[in-house]
Amino acid sequence: MFLGVDWGAFVVVFATALAATAVIVTSFALGIRLFADGAVESDGGSGAVAAGASAGASASARRSRPLAATVAGGLCFAVGTAAVLFGLWMIVPQFH
Amino acid sequence: MDVFVTVVLVVVIALVFDFTNGFHDTANAMATSVATGALKPKVAVLISAVLNLVGAFLSTEVASTVSNGIIREGDGGVQVTPVMIFAGLVGAVIWNLATWYLGLPSSSSHALFGGLIGAAVIGAGVGAVDFGVVLSKVVLPALISPVVAGVVALVATYVAYRITRQATLRGSTAGFRHGQTISASLVSLAHGTNDAQKTMGVITLTLIAAGYQGAGSAPQLWVVLACGLAIALGTYLGGWRIMRTVGKRITDVQAPQGFAAETSSAATILISSHLGFALSTTQVTSGSIVGAGLGKKLATVHWGVVGKIASAWLVTLPAAALVGGVSAWLASSSTAGLVVVAVLALAGGLAFALLARRHPVTHETVNDSDEAPAAERVGASRGRGE
Repeated sequence: MFLGVDWGAFVVVFATALAATAVIVTSFALGIRLFADGAVESDGGSGAVAAGASAGASASARRSRPLAATVAGGLCFAVGTAAVLFGLWMIVPQFH
Repeated sequence: MDVFVTVVLVVVIALVFDFTNGFHDTANAMATSVATGALKPKVAVLISAVLNLVGAFLSTEVASTVSNGIIREGDGGVQVTPVMIFAGLVGAVIWNLATWYLGLPSSSSHALFGGLIGAAVIGAGVGAVDFGVVLSKVVLPALISPVVAGVVALVATYVAYRITRQATLRGSTAGFRHGQTISASLVSLAHGTNDAQKTMGVITLTLIAAGYQGAGSAPQLWVVLACGLAIALGTYLGGWRIMRTVGKRITDVQAPQGFAAETSSAATILISSHLGFALSTTQVTSGSIVGAGLGKKLATVHWGVVGKIASAWLVTLPAAALVGGVSAWLASSSTAGLVVVAVLALAGGLAFALLARRHPVTHETVNDSDEAPAAERVGASRGRGE
């Protein structure tokens, strides 16, 4: 305790938040990468969402994704979903 | 009669505070979602309002934490009177409106603490305030929160861009937008459980102090309902001025940055409050956005804007304390003094509202990133927003 702050608890909060965020963001971004399977967004990642990627001519967009990538990507998004459910559990006091 | 008048005034001003709290803090959760286009402005504030309302009902552990031990209450301490609470709330509301007018995200909790501190100092002397607690519960967390959240968001942003090849991969913008919507909603819900409770605590304390309610009893249903609705309404009407600052002017937030910032904010807020080391929502979310700006290559962080926000944070507590103190001094003299304070507070609030209408920021202009004059031009050409 220095200046009335429990610095040990603070370090725990910092480390946990950093680790949790790193895991969530990494898995989510990996999920996006696996689902994209190397294909590049037609509009370069900015501006309007390329909804349905109507530029169907693009060969890479049409190439079917390997099953392994789909499964692995799904698992990555599952990590994010689990984190959200855990977050809800932390917020709602009735759960604990 | 006097007591009744005071209690009514406290309830009214507490609900007004709750309302300003709502529209002040919409930006915390939703500014980045609006800025990246993940949600349409109106949809964003609607989601945030509903989640704040839900949050208000989730938890009603009465906040005896209203003053968090900053004011020495109880045996050997000071008696917190309804008049002091009223004066403190006036200070908090006025300061919230001032920072809203300037478009600066500042902590509503700090404004509330400041107002109460000012009122307590005037009402009961400097000894009534425990400045050690002010340092450890208000000042240091305010310095720590943005740094923690900023570092976490910086790392998260770097990782998000790195893995998705600078977000050029197909589906990355849409994907990050979806992720961001979800994490921003978590921030909103957490905000509702915390902030609506604060006002419930204030009203319940007043009812207890005035003898209308048994000591140690839970907030009454109408109090929970009124507070939930007040914060939800404030959230829905939206602090577009503050949102524009947070979403566009600190740095121009892109989808991966928004996702990284909101995820960092949600994780930091939830983990810190779960481990009993509560960090301020406002300061965490602002810090995250600066971090997200620093984590992207070639993104610009406007340090001038960051500096303005930081100085607002420094001034929040003393400024609210000053208004709270003056209000307490006037209001404790007589019932007439109390009414004068109420009228002055109303006039002050209206003045800010009218000033704001001179160059309004609406859901249509919330994503303009230029400095103030541009907002005026847009406002004029579109024929005075709403």
